[in-house]
Amino acid sequence: MKESQHNTTDFGYKTVDREAKASMVADVFHSVAAKYDIMNDLMSFGIHRLWKRQAIACAGVRKGHRVLDLAGGTGDLTAKFSQLVGDTGQVILGDINNSMLKVGRDKLRDLGLVSNIEYVQMNAEALPFPDNSVDVITIAFGLRNVTDKDAALRSMYRILKPGGRLLVLEFSKTDNEALSKLYDFYSFNILPNMGKLVANDSESYRYLAESIRMHPDQETLKGMMENAGFEQATYQNMTGGIVALHRGFKY
Amino acid sequence: MLTTLACAAIENALNLLLDKEPSLKLALDQVKHQTFAVEIRDWHTTYALTFTGRQFMLFNNYQEQAECKISAHLETLPELKDPSVMTQLIRQDKLDLEGDLHLAQAYSGAFAKLDIDWAEHLSAYIGDAPAQLIVEKGQQTKACLSHSATTFVGTFTQLMQDELKVAIHPLELQQFKQHTRAIKQHAAQLEQRIEQLLNR
Repeated sequence: MKESQHNTTDFGYKTVDREAKASMVADVFHSVAAKYDIMNDLMSFGIHRLWKRQAIACAGVRKGHRVLDLAGGTGDLTAKFSQLVGDTGQVILGDINNSMLKVGRDKLRDLGLVSNIEYVQMNAEALPFPDNSVDVITIAFGLRNVTDKDAALRSMYRILKPGGRLLVLEFSKTDNEALSKLYDFYSFNILPNMGKLVANDSESYRYLAESIRMHPDQETLKGMMENAGFEQATYQNMTGGIVALHRGFKY
Repeated sequence: MLTTLACAAIENALNLLLDKEPSLKLALDQVKHQTFAVEIRDWHTTYALTFTGRQFMLFNNYQEQAECKISAHLETLPELKDPSVMTQLIRQDKLDLEGDLHLAQAYSGAFAKLDIDWAEHLSAYIGDAPAQLIVEKGQQTKACLSHSATTFVGTFTQLMQDELKVAIHPLELQQFKQHTRAIKQHAAQLEQRIEQLLNR
């Protein structure tokens, strides 16, 4: 990934103005919000649920914790965290995109999860919380859409309580050549057509595939977390490295 | 990933059970939000079960702190159905327990007391008579299988004991081999002598 010093950044394989990226990403998610869950299941053959389960298991969320589910979209992680933190805890479902938040809020209310969830539209680069105020932050399949990832990681570090942890679940790089070729074919040939067929939007799903390729690999992201101040930064690959779960602590 | 998938399936089954058996919810109400971890020594992995008051959550490869963690071999786990044997298993080194013993006993007791009326639950889908019939047939099959298993084990043990009586001891075999070698040697010597006598 190249964050240009000349006020430009990547948007998939395109280079765009830094200021324009957020609204372009917003357009993508406004477009896909309604079909987001069904497309996730179709695109990943339901495996995204297992990746998220692993993230929840590693989050160490306990009763009374204050959890920020950043780029939480339609609230898959929030639904589980809400039950784990109980009545004395709180989960904040944060997303930059209002459409995604609305879909998430409706879904969680339908599940009867209302008492300890707050919905906040926010930019990950400038989180609207005081220093040392959150126990756990998760960002699942959201960091790659953030314009300034370093600023976002620094902001997350700032609001975490000492002893708190950040979990980043994100698409990553597989080092298996055969799997990589198969994955590329699937991403650039099947995925956009699937998006066109189900959500009538092939461009957004082409962006998805491109943004995954532009996202930092496992070691680079680990280094970025360390630069932001996180300690004991580690990652675990899932499904051959197609997805990686990074974890870092603040002490 | 396969283990995670299996965990997800077991979690779903447990939550289904929770919906059908409200007594389980009541029995575990005192320990809600407390994590009970089970390390299976044979597989070198830890599973964690948390009851949130609404649902069960089951995670594999759990590395966080749990309120109660037990460590045992697979063969020991069925014995945990009876909460009173736990201390005995700990003394026998079959079970390691860290944390709150009462949490382990609460889970053990709650599941041991379960008396699921399968016919009642099944009747909602297929009607009373077929449900009763299926459950009765199931119970008969289970009893039959259990009887067959007992008979098989009994017969097999008897056969092995009979075989033991017939089979020679390894020392006897060793002795037999020595005798055979000695006879072979004598026969060779005799053959050599006959040849010498014939050649004269």
